[in-house]
Amino acid sequence: MSASGVEQSAHHGASPVQPAGGPRLKPADSGATREPLGTRILRALLTQRVVLLAVLIVVVVAVLMIMDANDYLTAPYDPDYMASSLINAVPLAILGLAELVVILSGRGGIDLSVGAIVSLAGMVFGFAYGEWNWPFWLALVVTVVVGGVLGAVNGFLVSYIGFPALITTLATYYAYKSLAVVINNQEPISTEPIQNLFSITRSVELPVIGHDIPNFPLGIFTFLLPTVVVIWLLLARTTYGRRLFAIGTNDVAAQWSGIAVRDTRFKAYTISGLLSGLVAVVTVAQFASARPDAGVTGNGMALPAITIAVLGGVAITGGIGRVSGVVLATLLIVWLNAGILLAFEGNEGSQFQLLALGAVLVFAALLNGLTNRRYGGTR
Amino acid sequence: MTDGVTAGGQPPAEPQAGPSSAPAAPTTASTAPAASTAAPADPAVPAGTELPVAGAGDRPAPDSGLARLVLTGISKRYGAVRAIRNADMTVKAGQVHALVGENGAGKSTLIKIVSGAETADTGTIEFEGAPVTISSTVDAMALGIATVYQEPQLFAELTVSENIFMGREIRTAGRVDWAAQNAKVVELLELLRLPARYATAVVGTLSIAQQQQVSIAKALAGNAKILILDEPSAILTDAEIDVLFDVVRRLTASGVSVVYISHRLDELFRIAQEVTVMRDGQTIGTYPIADLTVRQIAELMVGGILSEHHSERSVPSGEPALVLSDLGLAGRFHSVDVSVRPGEIVGLYGLVGSGVSEIAATIYGIDRATEGEIRLDGKRISPRSPRDAQRLGIALLPANRKLQGMFGFQSIAFNISAGHLPLLSRFGTWMDRSREKSVARDMIARLAVRTPHERQAISAMSGGNAQKVVLARQLVERPKVLVLAEPTQGVDVGAKEEIHRIIAELAQGGTAVLVVTSDLPEALRISDRIQVVRGGTTTVEFGPDATQVDVLAAAAGDVAASDGGAS
Amino acid sequence: MTTTTPPRPVPAGEPARAVRTRNRVLPSPVTGQELVLLAVIAAMWVALYFTTPAFLKPGSLQPLLVSMAPIALIGIGMTVVIITGGIDVSVGGAVMVCSVLTAKTLVSSGVSLLPAVLLSVAVGGVLGLVNGVLIAYGRVHAIIITFGTANLFQFLGLQIFGSSTVNGIPSTFDVFGRGVAGRSFGIPHAFLITIVLAAVAWWYLRHTAGGRHFFAIGGDAQAARLAGVRVQRRILLAYVLTGLLVGLGSCFVIAQGTSTLDQSVGTGYELQVIAAVVIGGTSIMGGRGSVLGTVLGALLVQTVSSGVTQLGWNSNLRDLFVGVFIIIAVGADLLRQRSRRAAA
Repeated sequence: MSASGVEQSAHHGASPVQPAGGPRLKPADSGATREPLGTRILRALLTQRVVLLAVLIVVVVAVLMIMDANDYLTAPYDPDYMASSLINAVPLAILGLAELVVILSGRGGIDLSVGAIVSLAGMVFGFAYGEWNWPFWLALVVTVVVGGVLGAVNGFLVSYIGFPALITTLATYYAYKSLAVVINNQEPISTEPIQNLFSITRSVELPVIGHDIPNFPLGIFTFLLPTVVVIWLLLARTTYGRRLFAIGTNDVAAQWSGIAVRDTRFKAYTISGLLSGLVAVVTVAQFASARPDAGVTGNGMALPAITIAVLGGVAITGGIGRVSGVVLATLLIVWLNAGILLAFEGNEGSQFQLLALGAVLVFAALLNGLTNRRYGGTR
Repeated sequence: MTDGVTAGGQPPAEPQAGPSSAPAAPTTASTAPAASTAAPADPAVPAGTELPVAGAGDRPAPDSGLARLVLTGISKRYGAVRAIRNADMTVKAGQVHALVGENGAGKSTLIKIVSGAETADTGTIEFEGAPVTISSTVDAMALGIATVYQEPQLFAELTVSENIFMGREIRTAGRVDWAAQNAKVVELLELLRLPARYATAVVGTLSIAQQQQVSIAKALAGNAKILILDEPSAILTDAEIDVLFDVVRRLTASGVSVVYISHRLDELFRIAQEVTVMRDGQTIGTYPIADLTVRQIAELMVGGILSEHHSERSVPSGEPALVLSDLGLAGRFHSVDVSVRPGEIVGLYGLVGSGVSEIAATIYGIDRATEGEIRLDGKRISPRSPRDAQRLGIALLPANRKLQGMFGFQSIAFNISAGHLPLLSRFGTWMDRSREKSVARDMIARLAVRTPHERQAISAMSGGNAQKVVLARQLVERPKVLVLAEPTQGVDVGAKEEIHRIIAELAQGGTAVLVVTSDLPEALRISDRIQVVRGGTTTVEFGPDATQVDVLAAAAGDVAASDGGAS
Repeated sequence: MTTTTPPRPVPAGEPARAVRTRNRVLPSPVTGQELVLLAVIAAMWVALYFTTPAFLKPGSLQPLLVSMAPIALIGIGMTVVIITGGIDVSVGGAVMVCSVLTAKTLVSSGVSLLPAVLLSVAVGGVLGLVNGVLIAYGRVHAIIITFGTANLFQFLGLQIFGSSTVNGIPSTFDVFGRGVAGRSFGIPHAFLITIVLAAVAWWYLRHTAGGRHFFAIGGDAQAARLAGVRVQRRILLAYVLTGLLVGLGSCFVIAQGTSTLDQSVGTGYELQVIAAVVIGGTSIMGGRGSVLGTVLGALLVQTVSSGVTQLGWNSNLRDLFVGVFIIIAVGADLLRQRSRRAAA
C-alpha cells in the first residue's frame, strides 16, 4: 500500500489535484481549498509522473540544443536527428509496455524473460520468413503467437501454480535463451529475404505535411503506434483493463468482486509474450538478421524495459501505471541517449548512456519514496 | 456446546411473528448485581472502589488483593471520536481480571494504552503503588506488562525458542547460548504444560492454538507481572480452552495478574475473580464475578437501555428466497439452519469466533460447504466462486472493507463497476464509460456518498463513505439475496444511520437480506428476526421484540439457561 | 516430491520437528533440499564418470571447482540479502568495477597479492554500501535500486576500462587460478577459501543473534522491529557483505582468465548467482535460506555446465538445464509450504 498510495492521481490523470491544506491530507470529502500556484506545481511534478517526464524531456532537449548551438556536439542535434533516433524507441517502448502490463498485474509481477523471448521468437521468424519463405504476414503472426505461447508458460507458472514471478521468468529466461541458441546451432539466419527486411526500418516522409517536418522511421508507424494504441485501448477502455487494474490493486477484493483473478494474471504474461514476439520481428529487421542472442546480449532487453516502466511511473507493487508514462519515459531515454552519443567520442557515448539510465532510475525511485512520505497515505 | 440453548427464559420468537409496535419492556434494576456499589445504569459513578473480592473458588495468591495496576481517569480521543472517557480499572496481584464490553466499547483502546501501543490523553497509571509513564511497548515490557493479541505475531520460519527470545537473545562469547535459552524455554513450556520438544519446533509447523500458547510463553519470558490476554479463546476448541485456563490458574497462583478479555461471558465464571464492564468508552464498574450472572453482565454491557426497534415493516410471508439447511463446513461450523424471505431482513448474530463470518463466506462461494445444502428459490445451489454466486443473484458486502472490499487508490466509479464489468460494457469487452459514469453518479446520489465527483480515489475517503461505495457495488444489479457482513464496522454514526436506511429500502424492494454482524444493537435494530450463532451452529431465534440482554445472554452462553458452558 | 524433512502432516499437539538428540537445540543443520541437491550432484558425477571417464579425474574436477568458486562466494552474500527479503541484481556490474580496477592496478603498479585483494574487497564494500544505504534508508524496493546501480556500476567499470581490454595482467592472482600455483594438496585455493568463508557464514547465520535477525527481518520486518531488531542496520550490512564478497570474488574472476580481461567481465553474473541461491533452497520471499544450499546450487550449475561440455553437447544447453533446475527447486519449495499449511 505504502509504495503506491500517492500515485492515485498519477493514475487518474484527468482528476483534479486533490484539495489539501498541507502535506498531511485529511480525507477529502469536502470541496477544494485554494493554495499557492507554486505548491500546486510542485505537487503535480512530484505526484504526477507524466508531468515530471514532460518537463524533463523539455529540459533535456533544450540543454542538448543549446550545447549543439555552442558546438559542444559532434553532429547537429536537430529535429531530423531526433526523429531518426526514434527507431530505437520502437523495441524499447513495446517491451516497456509489456513490462507495464505484467507489473500492473501485481503480486510482484515482473518479466525477466522478454529478451530471451525476443531471441527465440526471432529465430522462429528467421526460419519462417528467411528459410521457408512464408509470406511476411504469416511469419509475423506465427512469431507473435510463438511469443504469446512462451509468455503463457510464464503466466501458467506464476498465476495458476503460484510461482514467484521473478524466479519463474529468470528460469524461463535461461531456458528460452538456451533454446534460441541451440535451435539453429548458434548460427544467425540472414538470408536474402531477411536482409531485405531492413527496408522496413527506413525513414519515410509523411504524406501531406511531410515537407515541413522531418522524416520518421517507418517502424514508428507500422509497429510502435499501433501497439501503443492497442495497449492504451486495452488498459483504458476494455473490461480486461479494468480487471487487470483491479487484481493489481487488491486481488482479494477482486476475487470477492467476482473477477477471475488467475485468468486475468495469466493473460498479462501472455500479452507480454505477444509483445515480445512483435519486438522479435522488429529486431530481426533492424539487424537484417535473425540473431540467436538478439535479446540477451550485454544487459539484454529486459533490464532497460523494466527501467523504462519504472521510470514511467509504474508501481512495482502493481495497480498503478499508464501507457503515456511509459511512452514519455521512452522518449526521454531515447532522446537523452541520442544526445549523449553526440556529446562523446566513440564508445564513451554508449557508456554514458548507462550512467544516464542508472542515474535517472535511481533518481525516479528515490523520488517515489519521497513523494510517498510527503504526500502519501490518506491519514 | 452444540445443544440448543433457550436464553434467559425468553422463548424463541415465532418466525412468523408480525411487526411489534410496542417496545419491549425495559430491563429493570431488579436484576442488577446485588453487591454492586454502583448502579449499572449510572455510568457516572466510578466503580472499582474496593469491592470485596469473592475469590471464585481459587485460593488467593500470596500477595493477592494488593493493587498491582491502577488506572485512573484515562481518556483517549482519535480526532473527533472519544474512544475512552474517564476510565478506571484496578488489577490486583495474582488475580484474573476480566474486561468485557460490546464491540467499540473501548476495551481494545484501553489495552493498547496499558501495553504502550497508544498513549492516553489524560489520566494516571500506577504500577505497584508508584505512578508510571508508559509511552512505548518497550516501557510496558520493562515494567512486566505483556500482551498476547488474538493474531499470533510470530516468525513462522524460526523455532519456538528463537521466537520467544527474538531481540533479547542470551549470548555467550558472541554466539547465542542455545542451551541456556532452550533451558529457559523448557521451563516456560513446562509451566504451560507443553512438551519440552516444542522448544526446537519451527513455529510454522504448529497449529494456531499451539502458536497462541507460544505467544503466551513469549509474553511470560519477559518475567511478566501482568499478562493481558485479548480474546484468547476465540480461536480455541473447548479442550484447548481447558488447557489455557489451567495455565492461567497456575500463573495467578504464582502471583501473575491476568487481564482477560472475552466475549464469551460464560467462561469468565470459570476463571475470573473480578470483572470490569465497559460501555460507550466508559468503565461502568468493577464487580466480584461471583456476585453476577451472565445475564447481569449482559445487562451491564448493554446498559439496561431498551433496545431500539426498526420502523414498522410488513414482513412478507412468501416462500423463502434463501434457505440454509443443516449447512456445515468441516472444522468451522455445522448444522446451520437459516431461511430468509424476499423482503425480509434476518440478522445472523454471533460473537467473534462463533463461525458467523465463515457462514457468510460459504454462501458466497469463497468456501465450499462440506455438509448440508443451500437453496435459492427452492433450487439447490453450490457456488464455487464469488462469480458463481453473483450469477445466481447473491451479493455480499465483505466484513473486512480494506482487505476484501476496497480497491484503494482507484476511483469511486472504478470501485463500483468492478463487480459489474459485463453489465457496464458493450459485448463484454468495451467499457461503456458513459453508462459507468451514470451508474456511479446514481449510486452516489442514492447512497448519499459525500464526494465532489465519482473520480475521487476511495482511499481518500472516510470509513463511512468508503463503506457506502463498497455497498453500492453490491446494489448495481439488484441482487435476489444480499448478505451483509458487518455492514457498519468502523463507520461513523451518521453513515451508520444511512446504511441502515438503505438496507431497509432494499428489503422493501423485495431483496432477501441476511445481516451477519457482531454488533448487537445493529442486529436488533434492523432485523425482522435474529438467529444466534454460537459454537459454530445456529442456536436460538429471536423475534423483533427481543431485548439486547436476551440475545447477548444467548450468544455468550448463559450458564443459568444452558448447561453448555461450565461443565 | 517431498524434498524436505519437516512437512509431514502433524498430529494435533505434536510439533513437526521432533528433536531426537538430547543436546540438539536447533532444527537439523542440513535441510532435505540440500540432501537432495547433494544426491543429484553425486548422481550426475557418477553418470558423467561412466559416459566420459575423463570426468572424475583431477584435471577435470579442479577447473570445475575453480569456476564455481566466485559464483558460490558471491552467492553467500546474495543468500543473506535474499533472506532479508531483498535482492541484488547489481553484482554483475560490481564484479566488473572491482575486477577491472584491480587488474589495472596490477598492470600499472604491480602491487603484491595482499594489497590487491584488499583493494578489490574495499571497492566492492563501497559499492555494496551504496546499494545498502539507498535500500535501507531510501525505502525503495531493492530490485529497483539495484537495477539502477547495475547501470551505474557498469558505466563505472567501462570508464575504468577505457574502452579497451586490459592486457598483460601479472600472475599475482595465480594462487586463485587453475594452474598448479592455484592449489595445495590438489585442492584449488579459490574453492578452499570459498568453503571456509561459507562455513563461517553458515555458523554466523545459525548461531549468532545478528545472524538470526536476518531471518526475522525476512519473515516479518515490522515484527522484527518491534522485537528490538535494528532492521535498517541489518539490511545495510547484508548489502555491504555482498559487496565485500564481490570484491574477493572479482580476484578469483581475474585469476580464471589468461592475462587479459575484456569488457564482458561480470555480465550475467547476477542471474547466475541468483540461480545458484534459488536452486539451493533459499526462498525468494525471504525469511528462509541457507549458505550451504547456495554452495551446492553453484556446484550443481557448474557440474551441468562442465558435463554438457564434456559430453560434447551444445554448451548453450547448460542454460536450459539451469532454467529447469530453478523451476524444480521453486516447485519443491512451494509443495513444502503448501503441505505445511495444510498440516497446521
